Amino acid sequence: MTLLQLAINGVALGAAYALIALGFVFIVNATGAVNFAHGDLVMAGGYVAVGLGAMAPLPMLVLLPLVAAIMFALGVAMSLVAYFPLINRPPSTVFISTLLIGIVLQNVFLVLFGPQAHAAPPLIQSGILHIGPIEISIQALGTLAVAGALIALQYLVFTHTQIGRRLRATAQDRQMAQAIGIRVHAVVAATFGFGTALAGIAGVLLANQFFVYPTGGIPLSVYAYIAVVIGGWGSIAGAVIGAMMISLFQVVVSAYVSYAVATGLLYVALLLVFFFRPQGIFGELVRRRV
Amino acid sequence: MSELLNIEGLSVAYGQVYALRDVSISVSAGEAVALVGANGAGKSTLFKSIVGFLRPRGGRLHFLDNDMTGVSPERRARLGLGYAPEGRRVFPGMTVRENLEVAVFAGKAEREHRLRRAFALFPQLAERQTQLAWQLSGGQQQMLAIGRALMGRPRLLLLDEPSLGLSPKLADEVLAAVRVIVQDGTAVLLAEQNVRKALTYCERAYVLEIGKVVLSGATSALRDTEEIRRAYLGD
Amino acid sequence: MASWLSNGIRLPLMLGAAALIAYALFFAGSYDLRVLTICGIYALLVLGFQFVFGHAGAVSLAQATFFGIGGYITGILATRFGFPFLATFPLSIAGPALLAVIIAVPVLKLEDHYFSLATLGIGLVVLLLAIQWSDVTGGTNGLAGIPAIELPGLTIADRRSVLWFVWAIVAIGCLLAYQLTRGLRGHAYHLMRENLEAASSLGLNIAELRFGTFVLSAAYGGAAGALMAHVIHVVSPENLDLALMVTCLTMTVIGGRTRIAGAILGATLIVYLREWFRVLENYYMIAYGTAALAVLIAAPYGLVGAIERLRVVLFGEIRPALPPAASPLTLGGGHKLAQASAEPLLAVDGIALAFGGVKALDGVSLSCDQGEIIGLIGPNGSGKTTLLNVISGLASCQRGSVTFLGSDITRAPAYAIARLGIARTFQHIHLVDDLCVLDNIAVARAGVDSGGLLQAIGTIGRDRRLEDARGIAFAAAERLGIADVAMEACGRLPYGTRRRVEVARALATTPRLLLLDEPAAGLNEQEQKDLANRIRSFAAEGITVLVVEHNLVFLAALAERLICLDRGKVIASGLPEAVRREPAVIEAYLGLEAGVTELALAGPS
Repeated sequence: MTLLQLAINGVALGAAYALIALGFVFIVNATGAVNFAHGDLVMAGGYVAVGLGAMAPLPMLVLLPLVAAIMFALGVAMSLVAYFPLINRPPSTVFISTLLIGIVLQNVFLVLFGPQAHAAPPLIQSGILHIGPIEISIQALGTLAVAGALIALQYLVFTHTQIGRRLRATAQDRQMAQAIGIRVHAVVAATFGFGTALAGIAGVLLANQFFVYPTGGIPLSVYAYIAVVIGGWGSIAGAVIGAMMISLFQVVVSAYVSYAVATGLLYVALLLVFFFRPQGIFGELVRRRV
Repeated sequence: MSELLNIEGLSVAYGQVYALRDVSISVSAGEAVALVGANGAGKSTLFKSIVGFLRPRGGRLHFLDNDMTGVSPERRARLGLGYAPEGRRVFPGMTVRENLEVAVFAGKAEREHRLRRAFALFPQLAERQTQLAWQLSGGQQQMLAIGRALMGRPRLLLLDEPSLGLSPKLADEVLAAVRVIVQDGTAVLLAEQNVRKALTYCERAYVLEIGKVVLSGATSALRDTEEIRRAYLGD
Repeated sequence: MASWLSNGIRLPLMLGAAALIAYALFFAGSYDLRVLTICGIYALLVLGFQFVFGHAGAVSLAQATFFGIGGYITGILATRFGFPFLATFPLSIAGPALLAVIIAVPVLKLEDHYFSLATLGIGLVVLLLAIQWSDVTGGTNGLAGIPAIELPGLTIADRRSVLWFVWAIVAIGCLLAYQLTRGLRGHAYHLMRENLEAASSLGLNIAELRFGTFVLSAAYGGAAGALMAHVIHVVSPENLDLALMVTCLTMTVIGGRTRIAGAILGATLIVYLREWFRVLENYYMIAYGTAALAVLIAAPYGLVGAIERLRVVLFGEIRPALPPAASPLTLGGGHKLAQASAEPLLAVDGIALAFGGVKALDGVSLSCDQGEIIGLIGPNGSGKTTLLNVISGLASCQRGSVTFLGSDITRAPAYAIARLGIARTFQHIHLVDDLCVLDNIAVARAGVDSGGLLQAIGTIGRDRRLEDARGIAFAAAERLGIADVAMEACGRLPYGTRRRVEVARALATTPRLLLLDEPAAGLNEQEQKDLANRIRSFAAEGITVLVVEHNLVFLAALAERLICLDRGKVIASGLPEAVRREPAVIEAYLGLEAGVTELALAGPS
């Protein structure tokens, strides 16, 4: 495969990863909490697509808003269980509660759908397009389009709407956000909702080519975590770029070595980033002599 | 003149430690009232209780004739309570313009209108509209914090130590805005360590010492050296 | 015996332990014995995890990895090379510990999330190795046929013997953990979790403390993994994976992060929860996850903490007895004022430090001679606290130098500066609320009086180091007039007393230079006069004191010299009378007319 082809495959995958990382970093920014069930929420989106696809044989693009709505509700529900009851505890407690919720989710999938992998219906249709020397599946194109549109939408909402400004203000200084009249609890719950909806949509996009299975979310949570760290903790642009880097790395490297080795090299690369630039690529270095 | 803020017998404690004991103050429309006292006297604690970040142990807190017990900070803000905290606390990653815009809960036209007023009050902010808030100097951040608090058209503005870290000249510039703010229809409760400045810009004052109001009255009366010396510096 | 039992929740714990032992002896069937053994193994894993997660407060995600490595070392050496237990067991402990040592230095420097992710990353790499390197590790299937534990002359094969053996090792692990976290060391960990800056400024080497806990957690993890290999005779990648890490975290948080009893309770409960819910077949993991979440929400300090609170609610608190006689407290390092040296004790030269665009310090220079009391004044935001931070090592200046006792300490870390003899207090008091006054002060000795791990292990019965520290602490408490509340928990004391505890703590390091940051804030007039008198007595014994204050009345009688800062620069320096009269000072700081100032600062007539 030519490098160009690999790059294109990488970007297509990266678009989906970018959505996952985006949802993850929203939640991190608004709450300071690392949601380790995020990958499982991606799977949830995929499973919802599988279920809906079985009930109504429509292209996923049409059902996407419905999936998003369901996942939004799931995200809000999750915030009520995993976050708000633990709001005064050390942050590691929330981390653990998300891990536990991840376990519950994985086993709910197991019970409802069984251990085997499922595929969701495609966005529009299956099939491959040939553009000159390049092959690209329609699903991948659709993924790029949807992900691109959502990222652009997110950017516009954040920078040009009052809702976006309030989300950012709440993330930067929750108390002062309260003091100017923002209903911060609703904002935090909504952030969980949006982050989860993004995860769910990513799940729909991935579930056609990559299948969903109960434990499929675990590596995705790790990738989201890595993307946000590489890109600089809390940086939205950084998360998207980090996700893109991960997928490009995976796709390109695993063309030359086995997938497992490629993954291993990814983790090693991550550790190297830590040691040479501990604040990530976009992060700020905190000067501490303690 | 109607009473905007009425506090009676307020007590606030951190664990076993009483930061405020039996404090009673009031602010009416059209007034600028000063709250002076040394560091640690309880000024910021009082403000945080008014804003709703701290729950009092005892006493009553009424804003616009409504009992504020159990009312969330965001609700109080929407009722017309503005707060410019100690240390400014502007939203660092947002621009000057965004800091002001985010504090408005009204349509776009009204928002633009209020922005113009904020820029009229603090022209330095207009010049730096698109700058990120963390890049501003201390004085500019203070102006932004006040501007932001005013964007909600509050009936009462709580100003906590605006002269902190500012040169005397800059502090005067910021505090001069207090008179304009009162004229525009927002009463001001100003907490200040710098006694002279506080008394210059306000009509009435309360003096706090270790959690208690030890002196109150018109600033013209309080400027009397003897009184302030005794209460502020101890005897 | 009765008084030992009635302390805390020892009685219910002993009863619980006795019940479990009776159960194991008389009622447990073969399967139950196996389950109890597994409980022990996990208890050991959690005990290790408590060092790094509970005591050091760092969320390490490598604990399962250490467990797995221990298991694999045992598995590989036993099945492929036929090594006996007495060889494989120590190696299974040493292997993970060695890995911990290697990765500790880069990894422990990372903050919070980065640290967790780095440990996770390492774990995932090891997991991949275990799966891919199948020649050595047996790949996804792992290694089977790991023999039972063989000691010279004794094979531990039947389930009952295995149970006793494993729990015997757990008991040793508990004892070791107790030795290593009791007394001063435990208090030091607690303060470290509470506030890093306070801990470093008492001389605690945070990096070293964290390193120790990380390596210990690895060692315990390896031991537990080795035992697991012998008990289930198989080692596979499942022993290394994230699911096990989640289990470990859950057990620790539910049992109690720093309590030894919590490790046993948490491990046993989770193992049994799984057993009980197994009845639900497909739904059992869902039920188990939900139940664990419920406990997490309901019991913030873990179950052991919940039991303790219950006990307090039911039976009230017990006040422990007063400590033995105090050691004398020699202040100022024994140097008397008569020995005036030519060089200043502290010399600060041209310090500059800017945050973003704000110049916090803009070329500040000052010097202090031994035994002086110097007041540092200036309006809020003038840089006083920043200057203290630079001197004490909590902030790095961008230009300039700090010299103490002739040595350049500009770039020295905070803990080293503390050990050289500079102690400080903070604007916001950082005490450990759960500990009594005496122990809060005694922590000061943990930094300057370093005792190693080996010494800690060897301490049996009376903890001499703690006693000595408490003796000095008591003396410091007497010097601050708080000896009568020595055994009260700090959380419930009034502000003025807490302030004095903090000063006593700084004093207990027997410093040459004492930096006090607004010690009079929040104190009433009587308390202020009292504090000023005490500070004067310290200086008389040779301690140099640099006091940052707003309160001029407090400083007026106390300071021999005043230095006034305004917006990062020194604008006046000299005798208090002269500085007070400087127009620049009055303008910047007092905000009162000159006439008033003189009247006001005449002080009590």
